[in-house]
Amino acid sequence: MDITQIIAFSFIATFIVILLKQYKPEYAMIAMIAAGIFILLFVINKLSSVIVLLEELTDKIGINKEFFVILLKITGIAYIVEFASNICKDAGESAIASKVELAGKIVIVTLSIPIFSTLIRTMSEII
Amino acid sequence: MEIDLLFKIAAIGILVAVLHQVLVRAGREEQAMMTTLTGLVIVLAMVVREISELFNTVKTLFNL
Repeated sequence: MDITQIIAFSFIATFIVILLKQYKPEYAMIAMIAAGIFILLFVINKLSSVIVLLEELTDKIGINKEFFVILLKITGIAYIVEFASNICKDAGESAIASKVELAGKIVIVTLSIPIFSTLIRTMSEII
Repeated sequence: MEIDLLFKIAAIGILVAVLHQVLVRAGREEQAMMTTLTGLVIVLAMVVREISELFNTVKTLFNL
């Protein structure tokens, strides 16, 4: 699925969304979600090779695996949250979009607590 | 495969819009509302399947 197909697909999708917006705005939003999902599905499989490479790197350098897993989780959450909040913004609901972003930030902070604790522990050992 | 679903959504949307206008002109507002709702439910059902597929791929990829 090369990039030109994705660009053509996005033009068609925006055309359909604009067309539907005049008659039935709720269908336009659903078409927006569907288009966003397809474009994401096109590219997301390419990410897996990057992740495998990163995993090998972390094994070589010797960083403990748990941090890498948390980092992956955080990027995944950020990815989905950004997707959802942009769709809410396009539909005109920026209040909901900011709530989604807030929820995403909170989840990310709670996920990264172990990293902070180990950081502080290593700092205290040094001092 | 993906583009067809988008065309289906567009087709259903326009069809429901036309049906709505026709029914409203014919003086049957309730049927018009019903057709709009059923069209919406059909389209939502199609999109929900795609959303769950996306979320599963993301889950497996980032092992969330």
